[in-house]
Amino acid sequence: MTHANSLPRGGVNPPDSSLISREAAIANAVVPSVAVIPMLQHSGRAAICVVKPGDLVREGMLIGRADGVRSANVHSSIPGRVVEVRRLPSQGGCDAVVIELGGEFDRSGKPRTLHGWEKLSRIDLLGKIQSAGVVGLGGELVPTHLKLAMTPGKTGSLLVANGIDCEPSLSADFALMREKPGEIVEALRICQALVGAARVVLALGEDAEGLVPEFERAFKRASLQCEIALMPSRYPQGNEQLVLSSLDGARPSGPRPSSVVLNVATLFAVYEAVVMDKPLIERVLTVTGMPVAAPRNLKARLGTPVGDLFDDCGGLTAQPGKIVVGGPMRGVAISSLDVPVTKGTSGVTAFAGAEARARREWPCIHCGICVEVCPWDLVPTRLHKLIQQGEVETAMSEGLGRCTECGCCAFACPSHIPLVDILRTGKRSRGRANDA
Amino acid sequence: MPDTSTSRAPGRLNLSPAPHLGASLSTSRMTWLVSLALVPAAVWGVFLFGFPAVRVIVTSLCAALISELASSALFRRFTLGDGSGFLTGLLVGLMMPAGVPLYVPAAAAAFGILVVKQSFGGLGRNWMNPALGGVVFALLSWSGAMTRWPAAGGASMSTAVLPPLEALRSAVSAPGAVGRPLDILSSHGYVFSSLDGSIVSWLNAHILSPFHATLAGGSFDIIVGYVPGRIGEVSAPLLLLGAAFLVSRRIVRWQVPVAFVATFAFLAWVFGGFAGGQGWFSGGPVFHVLSGSLILSAFFMAGDPVTSPLASTGKWIYGTGLGLLTFLLRFYGSLGDGVAVSILLGNCAVPLLDTLLQQRMPARARKGSG
Amino acid sequence: MTPSEVLSRGIARENPTAVLLLGLCPAAAVSVRVIDSLWMSAGVFSVMLLSSFCMALVARGRMDKGEIGPGAAAGGWLGALVLSSFLTASFELVLLSVAPEASAALGIYAPLIAVNCLVLTVIGESSRASSPGRALLDAAGKGAGFAACLLLIGVLREVLGAGTITLFPLPGFSGTFVIGSLAHDPARAFGFAGGGLLCLGYLAALARAVKERRL
Repeated sequence: MTHANSLPRGGVNPPDSSLISREAAIANAVVPSVAVIPMLQHSGRAAICVVKPGDLVREGMLIGRADGVRSANVHSSIPGRVVEVRRLPSQGGCDAVVIELGGEFDRSGKPRTLHGWEKLSRIDLLGKIQSAGVVGLGGELVPTHLKLAMTPGKTGSLLVANGIDCEPSLSADFALMREKPGEIVEALRICQALVGAARVVLALGEDAEGLVPEFERAFKRASLQCEIALMPSRYPQGNEQLVLSSLDGARPSGPRPSSVVLNVATLFAVYEAVVMDKPLIERVLTVTGMPVAAPRNLKARLGTPVGDLFDDCGGLTAQPGKIVVGGPMRGVAISSLDVPVTKGTSGVTAFAGAEARARREWPCIHCGICVEVCPWDLVPTRLHKLIQQGEVETAMSEGLGRCTECGCCAFACPSHIPLVDILRTGKRSRGRANDA
Repeated sequence: MPDTSTSRAPGRLNLSPAPHLGASLSTSRMTWLVSLALVPAAVWGVFLFGFPAVRVIVTSLCAALISELASSALFRRFTLGDGSGFLTGLLVGLMMPAGVPLYVPAAAAAFGILVVKQSFGGLGRNWMNPALGGVVFALLSWSGAMTRWPAAGGASMSTAVLPPLEALRSAVSAPGAVGRPLDILSSHGYVFSSLDGSIVSWLNAHILSPFHATLAGGSFDIIVGYVPGRIGEVSAPLLLLGAAFLVSRRIVRWQVPVAFVATFAFLAWVFGGFAGGQGWFSGGPVFHVLSGSLILSAFFMAGDPVTSPLASTGKWIYGTGLGLLTFLLRFYGSLGDGVAVSILLGNCAVPLLDTLLQQRMPARARKGSG
Repeated sequence: MTPSEVLSRGIARENPTAVLLLGLCPAAAVSVRVIDSLWMSAGVFSVMLLSSFCMALVARGRMDKGEIGPGAAAGGWLGALVLSSFLTASFELVLLSVAPEASAALGIYAPLIAVNCLVLTVIGESSRASSPGRALLDAAGKGAGFAACLLLIGVLREVLGAGTITLFPLPGFSGTFVIGSLAHDPARAFGFAGGGLLCLGYLAALARAVKERRL
């Protein structure tokens, strides 16, 4: 076990309520009576819908076929009948299959069969992962078969299991590691067989130190040579690039071709895909926030409306002023409780009262706090002023492209300037100009 | 067909963008806390100089607030809530001698708000500290009135009329002025308080005599602030108390004031002795740091975030530069204590520092790329 | 453009001090007293008027003869400088004899009228003018605009900076109005160059605001 370096620079410590949500064990969320499953839940091209209204689907059946290699399959999370194929306005418009619950479950409540995988070839393993529709569940949603398809055994290569919850207040990864360490280690073995990295590391937050003994035992049982690196609990330590730079001490930079970082939730999905032949149809997420009666982690089926999750946590004790899919730092505020759970939903946060209201904005006072907290060596105040004056190209030359919209600058800004929003607008306007 | 669009309308939901949390420190709170940190020094000034000091501070505050109200009405904004107008008024008032005719602080505060801040776009857009701009305007316009010093307190305290720095200046020009600054002052008839006399002699007799060191007469007065001067600048301990509070809450970044005072003290120590016939490394750094408005300006005006550099390195360079400029202006110039003008000059250089240091930042990040 | 439009252009839309920002050195330096502003304006006005008229005449002739080339241009500028220096020196001598105290107050800025950027710009434009009459009107307009601005700044600076308004001495009148309360302890910063630049800046800002209909 090693204590890795902290974040090279920057980062913030927002109030963290994940301790409350992680106490209870993961509970199964109630199966939804209607599931809305979008065709685009990953980075890349949307899947092609292969069902039509009226079709009967089974639990785990393919309803969207990947459109090429840079895409992922989408499966039905409940048995039933396809009611309609709706057009969702989000994400530039994509189709979503609406399924009404009915019929028998193929997996839930049935005994599980575990399959061996050591005899499978590389192609077969990658094929299993690909057909199960496994994508990066830590936020980037990159199809996992692409990440694992690198040439095995590159010198200096690194395989990292990222067990650091990417946002404060979210504890889904922690809970999963606490309850399924064996499965995660097995998945790590599978990935190591595919990747053949020189070094395998499990990255944990310092507040997860209690999990270390269990994982050390699991590594011994699985005969997997794996280091455990403890990293300080500072947002955004869970970011992939920052995990890598904390491990090797270099400054955070662009993607490193010889390193593979996989979130533990993704690893669990890999395990289910390879060992249990189960497609990605459900995931663990955290439901939290002041107005939630009993914040906890839930295992929810994809397509469940977000409102159902609150019911599973004892309901809301106060009228919510804001509901966010994701965590408090990077989540997206939603306007209706019907928004479905997708592969990228790591949590749902509710805000009420003063927390939910927009904060009064003051002019920039040039205090430099945003510069101090940016983990990417950017100067957010200067970038936002450049963008407001239309000088997006100058902003790009000063590093706007490196911005990951982590939100540290806007969190720390005493004038409550919506820096992330402005920087994102700048990046998008350039993208549009490039497409034109 | 069952209703598949269950719209559970939870009422109106806020759709503002991420992040959905904010740090508790807000700009307006920061500014009001700076004003709060100045209160101990202001109270001391009122205690020393009496009702005239109150009149000056109140006039300055009113002028600042009225100017801010009037000019922000033009832009249809109400900006008094952010506390910067009040702070400017308070700072201008504290930088005035207590005996100054009231039109001086009024004009200085109005100038600071209208010309230095509002004409350039309001809070955050000024490139010069507004209070300091107003004070320098007053220094240039009414130099006579700005150097009319009332005695500190009643007859029981020090009855000297000139602040220590001005008195030193005139004493040093006379022949035969040798020794530490305070010794020069004493030998030229500068009167310190009786309390100071008794404390210093007790210390010399009982604590310092084994070390063969002596504390110059007047040390207690200078350190505590029983001397004439501008209303808010005399009491170093109370100012430092306020400043420590602000630094601990990370409202004022310590790099600029510390670099400023340290550089100035070092230079004063190395070179300042020549005036008093003492040679190298024997200037009176403590005397020079405590006299004039150095402490007040270094912590409350040089540390103002709007007119300091963004990067930490920039802050060090800026603070050091200010120390150097103040040293040159005070020892070799004729502009009083030299602090106000040197900070204004430094303010002019801040955008340059920002630009120079920003160019380096992307290169630093590039070095680590794989 | 009609003649009146040419004139008004120099005073308003293309005012040299507030809009074109030409000839700022004397504007900031000598506008400390009203009387100095008036004399400076008179000097600039007369030099500009006469030199642009002459230049327009001469240029007319040169263009007719086809003498357009680098050599002619250099010769043209040399000629313009000689012209403006001659006129400036004449003005200086007149000022010295009529108002020696004003001459001393203007100091170096009187001879500098010869190379004042406003004067040279107007001379340059007059060599391309369509007629000597047009050139005369343009110079008159700009001169009037310059004078108006200088007068405004002079009044402001003297009233605020010294509490007085100094005009021509007449029999029985010293020439100075003293505004009692201001003159007792005026804001001397306006008497310095910095104060002058401040007034100039606000004047230019005012012109901008009016032009962009923000006022």
